[in-house]
Amino acid sequence: MKKYQLGEFEEIVMLTVAILYKEAYGVAIKKEIETRLKRKVSMGAMHTALVRLEDKGYIKSHDGETTAERMGRPKKYVQITALGKKAMEYTRETRNGLWGAIPKVALDLMVVR
Amino acid sequence: MKPPRLLLRFFRWYCHPELVDHIEGDLLEEYGQRAKEKGKWMADWVLCWDVLLLFRPGILRNFSNLHYRLNSFDMIQHNVLIAIRNFNQHRVSFIINLTGLSSGLACSLFIYLWVADELSINKFNINDSRLYQVMQNVNSATGVETIEHTQGLLAAALAQEIPEVEFAATVVPPNWFSSPGIISFENTLLKANPQFISKDFFNVFTCPILQGDRSNLLPDRSAIAISEDLALKLFHTTENIIGKTVNWNHDRFTGEYHITGVFETTPANSTNQFDLLLTYDLFQYLRPSINDWGNSDPSTFLLLKGDINVESLNEKINQVLKAKDPNSESTLFIQRYSDRYLFGHYDNGKPAGGRIFYVRLVSIVGILILVIACINFTNLSTAKASRRGKEVGIKKVVGAGRKSLVWQYLSESALVTFCSLVIAVCLVYVLIPQFNTITGKSLFLKPDTTMIAGLVCFFLVTSFLAGSYPAFYLSAFSPANVLKGRRNTSIAEVVVRKGLVIFQFSTSIILIVTVVIAYEQMQYIQSKNLGYRRENIITFDMEGQPSSKLEAFRSELMAVPGVLNAGTYYHNLTGDHGNIRLDWDGKSPDQRVDFINLEVGCDFIETMGIEFKEGRSPTKNVNPESQIVLNEKAIQIMGLENPIGKTVRYWGKESTIVGIAKDFNFESLHEEIKPCFFRVYPIMPKFVVKIQGGAEKPVIEEIGHLYARFSSGYPFDYRFLDETYRMLYATEQKISVLSRYFALTTIVISCLGLLGLAAFSAERRIKEIGIRKILGSSEMGIVYLLSNDFAKVVIAAVVIAVPLSYLITASWLNTFAFRIELQWWYFIGAATLALSIALVTVSSQAILAARANPNQSLKSE
Repeated sequence: MKKYQLGEFEEIVMLTVAILYKEAYGVAIKKEIETRLKRKVSMGAMHTALVRLEDKGYIKSHDGETTAERMGRPKKYVQITALGKKAMEYTRETRNGLWGAIPKVALDLMVVR
Repeated sequence: MKPPRLLLRFFRWYCHPELVDHIEGDLLEEYGQRAKEKGKWMADWVLCWDVLLLFRPGILRNFSNLHYRLNSFDMIQHNVLIAIRNFNQHRVSFIINLTGLSSGLACSLFIYLWVADELSINKFNINDSRLYQVMQNVNSATGVETIEHTQGLLAAALAQEIPEVEFAATVVPPNWFSSPGIISFENTLLKANPQFISKDFFNVFTCPILQGDRSNLLPDRSAIAISEDLALKLFHTTENIIGKTVNWNHDRFTGEYHITGVFETTPANSTNQFDLLLTYDLFQYLRPSINDWGNSDPSTFLLLKGDINVESLNEKINQVLKAKDPNSESTLFIQRYSDRYLFGHYDNGKPAGGRIFYVRLVSIVGILILVIACINFTNLSTAKASRRGKEVGIKKVVGAGRKSLVWQYLSESALVTFCSLVIAVCLVYVLIPQFNTITGKSLFLKPDTTMIAGLVCFFLVTSFLAGSYPAFYLSAFSPANVLKGRRNTSIAEVVVRKGLVIFQFSTSIILIVTVVIAYEQMQYIQSKNLGYRRENIITFDMEGQPSSKLEAFRSELMAVPGVLNAGTYYHNLTGDHGNIRLDWDGKSPDQRVDFINLEVGCDFIETMGIEFKEGRSPTKNVNPESQIVLNEKAIQIMGLENPIGKTVRYWGKESTIVGIAKDFNFESLHEEIKPCFFRVYPIMPKFVVKIQGGAEKPVIEEIGHLYARFSSGYPFDYRFLDETYRMLYATEQKISVLSRYFALTTIVISCLGLLGLAAFSAERRIKEIGIRKILGSSEMGIVYLLSNDFAKVVIAAVVIAVPLSYLITASWLNTFAFRIELQWWYFIGAATLALSIALVTVSSQAILAARANPNQSLKSE
C-alpha cells in the first residue's frame, strides 16, 4: 500500500517541523533533530528530505526574513499541509496497528532473551 | 569571519536555483555559529563536508540545461537514441556495416601507418630540406650507371670552391663494407657497423651527442665514438666511458681505439644504421688510394645555403670535378638525401621513381578499400529507405527541417563509424605483429597528436563518405507522398545502388587483376636478373668446430635433397682478402704485384660456378700449399705462357699451378678485376651451398635442422649470396604479399555488402516468394529469381572492369623494358573469381528464402 509514503528520516523531519511550528527553517530543524535525537544530521540529508517532502506535497514553504549572519539570504520556513498531516497520522496509525498486533508473549520472550 | 569563497561558488554552481539561496543561508548561519564556537578552521572543514554532502540528487540542478538555449545537445541525444534503436531492429545489416567498415578501416589504418612510416624515412635531419647527396653517373658497358660513391676529396673541394655549399661531409657508410666488425672491451664482444666521417658530419646531419666535444668529437686517428646503444651493451652505462680503450676488429682498421664520444643511436627511420664513428682521416691514411681523383668510394653529402638552383649547382660541381680530374668521364649530380629512399631508381642517370611507386599504389588501394566499405553503408541505408520513409514523413510533418534530418542520418553513420573505428583500432592493435612480420617494419600504434589527428580525420571522412548519400537522399522525401505510401522507388535510386555495387566489384576485379599481374611481372624481372646474378647460393658460418666435424657436416649436407653442391671457404667473398706477393721464374726483379689470396675449401670453386679456362681444381686431400689456382688476370700480369704445371713461390714454399680460372667479379662491381689465386684446403669453417632453384625454402629448412644438430645451439644465420639483391627481392615480395591481403579484403567487403542487399531483397519479397511457392514455383526457380538481379550487376561490373584493368595494367607494364605478355586468363580468372564469390553469397541468401515455409510468411499481414 503506497498511499502515503514517508521514510523514517522524512517522518522525523515532519515531526520536527510540526514541533517547531512557526519557527521551522533549515538550521532550526537540524538543531532540533540533533538535540532531541542526539544524532548528527548533515545539511545535505536534511535539505534533500525537505525537497522530497515538498515535492510530495506534505509541506509547503515560504520565504522568511533575512539576518546578518545569513549574509542576506532569506530563511525558508516550512509548514505542514493537510496532506502532510494525513500522512503523519496514517504512519502513526499503521505503527500503532502493528504495535497492537504484537502478542504480549512475543515481547516478553524477547526481553527474556 | 569569511567562509571560503571557492567552496560557496562551487555550491552555487551545482545547486538547484530554487534552493540555492535558502540552503546557502543555512550553511552560512551554521558556519558563523560554528566559527564562534570551534574556530574558523573547524568551521571551514565542516562547511566543506556539508557542501560535498549536498552534492546529491534533489539538490543538484538539471545539468542537461547546461547548453542553455540550444537544443542541439538534446537533438544529438535523440539522434543517437533513434540510431541505436534502428541498429537493434536491423541487426543483420548493422553487423554487416560494422564488419565491413571496421575491416576496411583497419586495412586503411595499416596502410596509413605503413605509408606514414615510408614517408618519414631519412627525414629526421633538421636540415632535411637543404641536405643533398652527390651522386655519380658512370658510363659502363650496360649504359649509364648511377652510383652513390664519389671521389674521396670531393667534399673538401666542393666546400672550398662552391659558395652555395655551407658544409660538405665525406662519409664511408657501413654498407660500404661487406660485413660488420667486432668491438670488444674486456670480455664483451659485439658486432658493430662502423662509419667513417669527416669533420663537418655533425653540421650536415642531425646526430645528437651525449658525451664528448661536439666541435671536435674525433680529434685523432685512434679516436672512436660509439652509439648510446652500443655503450649500454658494452659498458652498461653512457657515463664516464670517455677515454676508455676498446679493441676494434674490422678490415684494415683493426686495433686499439680510445673512446672520445657517445652519440644518440640512429633513429629507426634512418636507412643508414651505424653503431660507431671513426675519423675519415684514418680511412684516408690506411687506404691512401681514396685520395686519387680516379677512385670513387665514399659518399658525399652537402648542406646547401637556402634555396638554390639544382641545375646550376650540378654544373658547378662538374666544373670542380673537371678541374681536379681532367680525365674523368663521369658526371655528378645532387639529389635530396631524403628523396633517395623513395626515388632510388635511376634511369639513364636520372632519378626515375623507385619505392614511391609502391607507396602511391598502396595509398590508392587504401583509399579504395575505405570507399568500398563506405559504399556498403550507403547501399544498405538507401535500400532500407522504404522502411524509414514513414519516419522521415512524420518528422517532416511535425516540423523537422531538412537540415535536422541530414544531421540525424549523418550522426547515425558517425555512430557506426565510431564503433567500427574502435573495433578497427583494436584489430590493428592485435594484428600489428603479423603486419610487422610481413612488412619487416616495427610499426606500432602510439597515441601521439598526429595519430589522434589521423584517427579523427579518418572518423570524419568515413562518417561523411558513408552517411552523406543516405542523409541527403532520405531527407529529400516529400512527406505527403511517403505517408500515403506512394513513394516512387525511383529508377534513379535503383541505378545509384546498382551503380555503387558495380563500382565495388569493378574495383575488386581491377585490384585482383593488378595484384596478379604485378606479381607475375615481379617474378619475371627477378628471374630475368638471375642470368647474371648469383642465385640460390647461401652462405653461413660454422666457426669453432673441429675439422672432422666440419667434414661430417659437409658430407651430410651433400646428402640433403636439393643441395646441388656445398663448398667451404675462409676468406670473405665480397670484402677484403689480404694480399700475398708471389714469385715465379722469369719475374722481373722490380715487378711488384700483390695477388689476392683466397683461402678456400674443396668444392668452393665448383659451388660458386667459377669456370676454368684451363686445367682443373686442385686434387683433394693433398697439402694445400702444393697446388694453386690462379685467375686469368694473374696469368696476364705474370706474363706466363703455358702456365699449367709451372711453379710459383710464396713464403718460401713452392706450389704447382694446376688450373686457371676465368675472371670473375668477386669484389664490388666498382673495382677492377684483380689478380688472385686460390689456396685450396680440405675444409674451412664457412659454408657456401648451392641449392636447387625453386625449392630454396624446404632445403634451407632442412639445412637448418642439420646445422642445429652439429653446431650445439648456435642459431642458423644464413645469407643469400647477393645480399642487396636479396633485400630488393624482399621489398617487392613484402608489397606483393600485402597487396594480396588488401585485394582479398576488398572482395570480402564487397561481398558483405552484396550479402546485405541480397538478404534485404529476399526479406522484402518474402510474401511474393510465399505466393509463388504456393502457386507451384520450384525452389530453384526462386533462387534464380533472387540471384538473377545481382548476377546481372556483377556481370556488368566484369564488363566494365576487364577493359579498364587491361588499360591500367598495360600502361603500367609499358613502363618496363622487359615485361610479361598479358594473358587472357588473368582477366577471365579474376572475373570468374569475383562472379562466383558474388553468386555464392547471393544464392546462400536466396536458398534460405526459397526454402522458408510459405505458411510463415503469409499467415500474418
